[in-house]
Amino acid sequence: MTRAEFMTRLRRGLAGLPVTTIADIVADHEAHFADAEAAGRSEAEVAAALGDPDRLARELRAENGLKQWEERKNPSNALAAVIALLGLGALDIMFLLPLLMGVLASLVGLLFAVVAIFVAGGFVFAVGPLTGPPGGPITAFLSGIGLMGMATCLGALLTIVTVGVFNAVVWYARLHFRLLKPAMDQA
Amino acid sequence: MPEAIEIQLKKGVLALCVLALLSHADNYAYEIASRLTKDIDMGEGTIYPLMRRMQSDGLVETYLVESQSGPPRKYYRLTAAGRRSFEQQKAEWATFSNAVNAIVGAAA
Repeated sequence: MTRAEFMTRLRRGLAGLPVTTIADIVADHEAHFADAEAAGRSEAEVAAALGDPDRLARELRAENGLKQWEERKNPSNALAAVIALLGLGALDIMFLLPLLMGVLASLVGLLFAVVAIFVAGGFVFAVGPLTGPPGGPITAFLSGIGLMGMATCLGALLTIVTVGVFNAVVWYARLHFRLLKPAMDQA
Repeated sequence: MPEAIEIQLKKGVLALCVLALLSHADNYAYEIASRLTKDIDMGEGTIYPLMRRMQSDGLVETYLVESQSGPPRKYYRLTAAGRRSFEQQKAEWATFSNAVNAIVGAAA
């Protein structure tokens, strides 16, 4: 591969990143070719030593996506990180996607359950005391509050678990693939 | 998964090696890459993502130096945080490698 070919593919792979970031990365690699040429190495040799420019671009993009997720944990960054990792081929789709789908489906199921418990609690709280329940109106009143409190706690736990799942996905990707940041960084 | 372990080892050690090289003298990426590929088997391309990450983590900073031939050259130097990180990682590495060498040496 020639220097021009390498640079074109790198540039194409980086499209979508901030313009200054792309310019920086491109300048770094141009300087690398220039230094290597001064040392008497051929363009083809240097391009081979640098590795596949498409893959290099994907790694730089994926690292960008993971960094955003680690800095700000919100749904759109989670999605961006997963998409970047899929682009990298860092998530083994055959193995991980069914698993991930299963986990996500159960999380959604649990979310519905939590909402249902909350609604049921509200119903017992509001209507229960009027229907002459066993144990008297106060019992129905209190168990209604109890159910709603339980649903709130479960909802909070569910949020923690969801963030945990995405962290685990990022960790898994770092552990198994050639991203530059170790999975177990002391930070 | 031996491949994963090897990648983890190299990923961890590569950053330490870059910090060590820069603790001796400021340097530019091509020179750092040549040293590292010669001594540890690591693709030259990995140096640029690594330098970017170390820069965004505040461990290194860059400055430009005019060169006789061609455009100015980008040099890297350690920041105070980079120096602290190097001292800490160096100590951890010494403890770790001594322990491993003792066990591996005893087994031989």
